[in-house]
Amino acid sequence: MTRVIVVGGAGLPDQVAAALRNAGDEVTVITGDPLVPATLETAGALKADVLAVLTQSDEDNLVISLLAKRRFQIPRIVARVNDPANEALFDSSWGVDALVSPATTLVSMIKATP
Amino acid sequence: MHVVIIGCGRTGSALAVRMDGEGDQVSVIDIDNTARSRLPTGFGGAFLHGNGIHTQLLEAAGIQHAEALVALTANDSANIVAARVARHAYQVPRVLARLHDPAHAQAYHELGIATIGSVQTTVNRVVQVLHHLTLEPHQTFGNDETLLVRSRIPDYLDGRQVAELNVPGEIGVVELTRQGHSRIPEPTTPLEPGDVLSFIVAAGSIGRLHSFLDGKWS
Repeated sequence: MTRVIVVGGAGLPDQVAAALRNAGDEVTVITGDPLVPATLETAGALKADVLAVLTQSDEDNLVISLLAKRRFQIPRIVARVNDPANEALFDSSWGVDALVSPATTLVSMIKATP
Repeated sequence: MHVVIIGCGRTGSALAVRMDGEGDQVSVIDIDNTARSRLPTGFGGAFLHGNGIHTQLLEAAGIQHAEALVALTANDSANIVAARVARHAYQVPRVLARLHDPAHAQAYHELGIATIGSVQTTVNRVVQVLHHLTLEPHQTFGNDETLLVRSRIPDYLDGRQVAELNVPGEIGVVELTRQGHSRIPEPTTPLEPGDVLSFIVAAGSIGRLHSFLDGKWS
C-alpha cells in the first residue's frame, strides 16, 4: 500500500485521489494552505511515499514541491504543469521528481493521430 | 543599475518610475497588459507583457545582466518563484520579494528570499509610531528587527556615562552629537545637557529605551 498526499481541490485532484483509493492506496487530500508548514505535516508528510501536487497554479505547485522535498524528504513528488511554457522549471531543483503536463500530453496525442 | 521588476501595480509602477528617474535601466513585467497604463508617457524603461516566471520573457527583460530583481506581484508563490529563478538560474545579485500573507513568511525564509512590504513590517511600524512618538526610527534593518533611532537625552541623565545606556543585545549607543558636532563616544564619555544620541535598538526593546529616556530605569 502506498501512502499518497494529494494537493489541489475539485476536479482533477479529487478524481486522482478517488482513483488511487479505489486502487487500494492510502490517500490524504490536503485541506488548508499548503505553503504553511503545519498543513503538510498534519496530512502525514513525514510518512508519505508520494506527494501529488496538482493545483491549477504552476507557481503554487513549484513552491509546494520544493518546500515538501526540503522539509519532509518525500521520496516521490509528482507535480502538475498547467502552462506548458513552465515545463522547464519542473525539475529536481524545485523538488519535482516527475511532472504531469495535461496540455502537452493532449497535444502529443492529437499530433500522433493518423 | 539594471533592475527587473515583476508586477506593475501601484508599488511596481512607482518603483519603476523612481528608478528610471534616477537613471537606472528598468524593465517591468506584468501579466496584465493594461498595467502598462500605470507608467507615464515619459517612462524611459521597458514594459513587457507576460508571466514573470517565463524564462524567455525574463531574458527579454535582460535578466542575464540584471543587478537586481524585485518581485511585487499580488501572489506570494509567483513572487517566490520569480525570486528564486532570478537567484539560482541567473545569479542576480540582489533579489527582493514582497510577502503578502504572514503565514507564508517561513516559506520565504526557508528559501532564503528577502522580503519587503510585509504585513508584519507594516504592523511593527504602526505600533512603533503609535507607542513611541518621540522615537522616530531613522533607519530600520533586515525585516525591521533592529532600528536606528535618535533622541535628545533628558536632563536627568546629565553626568551619566554612555555605557550606562548600553544593554547587550538590546540597546547600543552608536553616535553622539554635541553642540552640532558628531562623534562616536567612548563608553566612559559623560553625558551633557543638550546631547543627542543615536541608538541601535532591537525592535522588542524600543519600549525599554523609551523608559530610559522617560526617566524610568527598568
